[in-house]
Amino acid sequence: MKKVLSVLLILALVFGLAACGGGETAEEPAGDEALKVGFIYIGTKNDGGFTQAHHEGTMAMEEYFGGKVTTIIKEGVDDTDKQAAKEAALGMIDQGASVIVACSFGFMDALDELANDPAYADIKFLHFSGYKMNDTNFGNYFGATEEPRYLSGIVAGMQTETNKLGYVAAFPYTEVQIGINAFTLGAQSVNPDVEVKVVYINSWYDPAQEKAAAEALLAQGCDVITQHCDTTGPQVAAAEKGVYAIGYNMDNSAVVPESFLTAPIWHHEEFLIATIQAIMDGTWTPESYYGTMADGYVDLAPMTDLVPAETKAAVEAVKAQIIAGEKPIFVGPIYDNAGNLVVPEGTTLDRGGIWETNYLVKGVTAVQ
Amino acid sequence: MNFIKITKRDDLPRNKAILIRGVAILLSLICAGLVMLIFGLEPIKIYTEIINGSLGSEMRIKQTIIKAIPLVITSLGILVAFKMKFWNIGAEGQIIMGAMAAAYVALNYGETPKPVLLLLMVIASMLAGGIWAFIPAFFKAKMGTNETIFTLMMNYIAIKFVTYLQYGPWKDPGAQGFPKIAQFGDNAVLPAVFGIHAGWIIALILVVLMYIFINHTKKGYEITVVGESLETARYAGMNIKSIIITAMLISGGLCGLTGMIQASAIERTLTSGISAGYGFTAIITAWLARLNAIAVLVVCILFAMLIQGGAYLQIAMNVPESVASLVQGSVLFFVLGSDFFIQYKVSLQGLFRKKNAEEGGAA
Amino acid sequence: MQDKVAIEMKDISKAFGAVKANENINLSVLNGEIHALLGENGAGKSTLMNMLSGIYNPDGGTISIYGREVKFNSPKDSIRMGIGMIHQHFKLVDVLTAKENIVIGQKGNFFTRGKELSRKVREISDRYGLDINPDKKVYEMSVGEKQTLEIIKVLYRGAKILILDEPTAVLTPQEIKRLFQILRNMKEEGCAVVIITHKLNEVMEISDRVTVLRKGNSIGTVETSKVEVSNLIEMMVGKKVDLAIKKETFANPKPLLDVDNLSVLDKEKKPALDQVSFTLNSGEILGVAGVAGSGQKELCETIAGLIHADKGRIFFEGGNIVGKTPRDIIRLGIRMGFIPEDRLGMGLVGSMDIVHNLILKDYQSQPGIFLKRGPCVEKANKIVSRLDISTPDIYTPVKRLSGGNIQKVLLGREIDAAPKVLITAYAVRGLDIGASYKIYDLLNEQKARGVGVLFIGEDIDVLMDLCDRIVVLCGGKLTGIVDPGQVTKEEIGLLMAGGTLEKEVGQA
Repeated sequence: MKKVLSVLLILALVFGLAACGGGETAEEPAGDEALKVGFIYIGTKNDGGFTQAHHEGTMAMEEYFGGKVTTIIKEGVDDTDKQAAKEAALGMIDQGASVIVACSFGFMDALDELANDPAYADIKFLHFSGYKMNDTNFGNYFGATEEPRYLSGIVAGMQTETNKLGYVAAFPYTEVQIGINAFTLGAQSVNPDVEVKVVYINSWYDPAQEKAAAEALLAQGCDVITQHCDTTGPQVAAAEKGVYAIGYNMDNSAVVPESFLTAPIWHHEEFLIATIQAIMDGTWTPESYYGTMADGYVDLAPMTDLVPAETKAAVEAVKAQIIAGEKPIFVGPIYDNAGNLVVPEGTTLDRGGIWETNYLVKGVTAVQ
Repeated sequence: MNFIKITKRDDLPRNKAILIRGVAILLSLICAGLVMLIFGLEPIKIYTEIINGSLGSEMRIKQTIIKAIPLVITSLGILVAFKMKFWNIGAEGQIIMGAMAAAYVALNYGETPKPVLLLLMVIASMLAGGIWAFIPAFFKAKMGTNETIFTLMMNYIAIKFVTYLQYGPWKDPGAQGFPKIAQFGDNAVLPAVFGIHAGWIIALILVVLMYIFINHTKKGYEITVVGESLETARYAGMNIKSIIITAMLISGGLCGLTGMIQASAIERTLTSGISAGYGFTAIITAWLARLNAIAVLVVCILFAMLIQGGAYLQIAMNVPESVASLVQGSVLFFVLGSDFFIQYKVSLQGLFRKKNAEEGGAA
Repeated sequence: MQDKVAIEMKDISKAFGAVKANENINLSVLNGEIHALLGENGAGKSTLMNMLSGIYNPDGGTISIYGREVKFNSPKDSIRMGIGMIHQHFKLVDVLTAKENIVIGQKGNFFTRGKELSRKVREISDRYGLDINPDKKVYEMSVGEKQTLEIIKVLYRGAKILILDEPTAVLTPQEIKRLFQILRNMKEEGCAVVIITHKLNEVMEISDRVTVLRKGNSIGTVETSKVEVSNLIEMMVGKKVDLAIKKETFANPKPLLDVDNLSVLDKEKKPALDQVSFTLNSGEILGVAGVAGSGQKELCETIAGLIHADKGRIFFEGGNIVGKTPRDIIRLGIRMGFIPEDRLGMGLVGSMDIVHNLILKDYQSQPGIFLKRGPCVEKANKIVSRLDISTPDIYTPVKRLSGGNIQKVLLGREIDAAPKVLITAYAVRGLDIGASYKIYDLLNEQKARGVGVLFIGEDIDVLMDLCDRIVVLCGGKLTGIVDPGQVTKEEIGLLMAGGTLEKEVGQA
């Protein structure tokens, strides 16, 4: 017992000495007037996908404000571990951050808890992809990915020869199901015989599993692979097999040039710049932002030279219609893959209707 | 070839043992510092920032304590089992099952008044954790199965079971189909005392209770004797099976309680990742504390400082969190390694003596 | 060659911390000599020999082998110089054969196989009269065979100087005879033999010269033929000791423990005890003789409730206690004390202090959930002073005490409970002369109080001097109950080996 105590005392002493020797603590050079924004990422900022897309938005925003905004980031925060998210946010607040941006669905409850804690009433919380918010300091933002997804579906539908499209997806829930349905409807609009095979990996960020799932789909004869998960794993798998890949989040034409067709992508800076500006101006109120292609928040990455000219033309035409607001994505009749009519003839889903999705459309088979 | 001579020693004076440990800790910090230098980091600054990040502000101190709470309680649970030389590696699973039972109560009886609901959650979690530990204990007592493997495997069953609940029967219908379990109502959340959830009071009380239990009760005495020698326990007429099972119920119960505290105060829901590795870290802290309840408290706080300080490093200095893990690993390696030098005497003169011996033989 | 000095140790000192284990010890052993190293436990015999075999380095002094000064750095150096040590605890691999054990750990033995090895082993066996089956597995061997194998092992490695640490402790009289013959053969071959012992009669029988150690000092070296046992004791103990064990007979014995047709199976379901019957009376010491592993352990532990009896009954004052656990026995208030063979492994908790070891038998009868130390502190002080236990205090872990003091703690606790029956297994094993006689006195004291003592012994001389009757076991069977006054040591040895006596003596 005494031994242990003495050891611990020594440990404490050593640490204490280190503390004395160290002198002043780390201080950010930026002045007090700069707005400090903390970003919580699920993956690493160079993951070639989801988090990298976010981080590029972050960097663009920081550059835009030229010193008036500084950012701190924490990468690799487990979004199934609420404590990790809370800690990351609290650590940032401790560092002087007054805006917290959390970039994964799983961070929602952590943010909700902090935002509603009176101790952090002065802090603004922005959450990507969630549905919770409040009236004072907690808003969320997302994009109409169904639009570029639909376009990428057209590309896939025209490129496939086997009429089997592979889709590596994260979790079987609304956000992901919307994307799958939009993609499928886009493909079916040009190729009614097309089938979409989905594998859920139950994780957003798992490079190895993402790739493995794509390989399983390839083995089933899919000749275009797309994804709703964070890394380039599925694209690499497609490239290795010599088939086409449609990415997500980022333009990865340089990473897998031999396979990459296009990808639904984000321009997070579109949201961030406007929102941070509003916060600095004191005009911000919590909202549930939903950026469209027309807003420039979501987009389809430039189609590579692997896409034939007539396909490009067809896609561009639809894209123009969508941006002009003339082309809703979900128009009845839509049947789910069990044969039930889910959107009746003559009905067009608006944002609210889209976000009630809890089914996959006809032509999709999914394994979990 | 014997360049180094190693001999066993039994009776190293206490102050010398302390010196060896102190030197070990110094060496560990120097060693970790060298690695940092290789990667272009400033060790002194990193160490300063770890201290600063764990104790530098009220919020940081709170975070450190919040991390220490599950470590302390889990370490106490492990301590009981280890005292009996029952190698309970299953704290992770026991935490998860405790959290699961607490979540069951919280989600289904959320309207119950807060004190009653919390008490029910505590009871449920301790029962569930206890049962999860009881299963391997039962098989060990009855059939002599290896508890190390058994408890370890029980972890994975617990994780997968909660994952199943998360994707299946307990899926939150209000989460747009996202596979997560619903948040607890306010009644199921542990209140804060002095700005930190009440788990710290529970932890402190348990430290004292555990100290008394091990040192001043018959059961604690029996557990110690069983741990020292099964034969002696049999000789003294102890009911070994019942002692093993009781101890494991306590051990698992405490780990389960950790699960309840984490679920109630931190996550406010159940996730498969709720144990967050505390079940394994607590093995290290219990061991470093030499299975002494009071020492557990101190060791766990120091460990929580390392964890919290490490988390701070990334945000404050843009340094990977793994730097703190490096320090942690290094301290462990040296401190546990120093035990060898406490038990054995190592002399390098072997090289010279050997020559003499050969000369002697050849002359 | 015969007179040449094999070992010359001069002014050897060795300290462990503050304890001086050896201080200026001188020892010289000649070729062709059997040299006994005599001393009580803790006199420094083993330390001295460990330095000779390279396990320890001396702090001071010189060691010369065949006239050349050497410094050993590891046991390997010592082996290279032709020194072989046979430890008390054999260092053999159970699942390997004799042959395999001989070559194991030998440099360059990888290809030494079959014929070559067998030839060499046979050659050594023939030369020294050792008899062993090279293909027998160690776990099938008797203790004597194992010891023979150990000897062959060191001889195979070229040992010319043999050190044996308490070699007779585990042997039957017959096996001891065989061992001594082997040692004499080695002597004839010009080897130097050192035998560490505290058994005086063996010293007288086998050795040419004796060096006596006491408390880390060498008291002197004498020629065995020129001294008496009493001289040796005086040298060992430092004073004259009365070696007679008193034996009184008490009237009106009444049966306390009645063992009736008891059979016990071991773990492999082979009989460890086979239909054993005897009666233990009040006011007597009933000895149990037998080669190690003849069922003594099972006998004690079955009576104490630690092992399940397969068949038969045990009556304690008329009530059958077969099937009762130690807990039941304590609960039922059956006053039975048990000194098990493995004191620190079974009777005591080594890492705990005297007080907590006393609590072991006490705590179950304490009320409440808390442990009460108070009464046991008093008791500890009482036992320490009554049995003259030398310990820094009552809070010292018992494993730090010497063997004799450990035994006194255990015996003190068991006697303190005022038992009616006291079972002792090898009560004086590892104890020095003084401590042993103290234990005998304590047992006699119990006997005088009417306690029935079951005394499992290994030294037949002691059994015959101390016990009123002796039960002899062989391979789990009872081969005879004899009155030591009416049989010879050889006759007991015969029963131990499974023979029968023409005359039935002392049958109760």
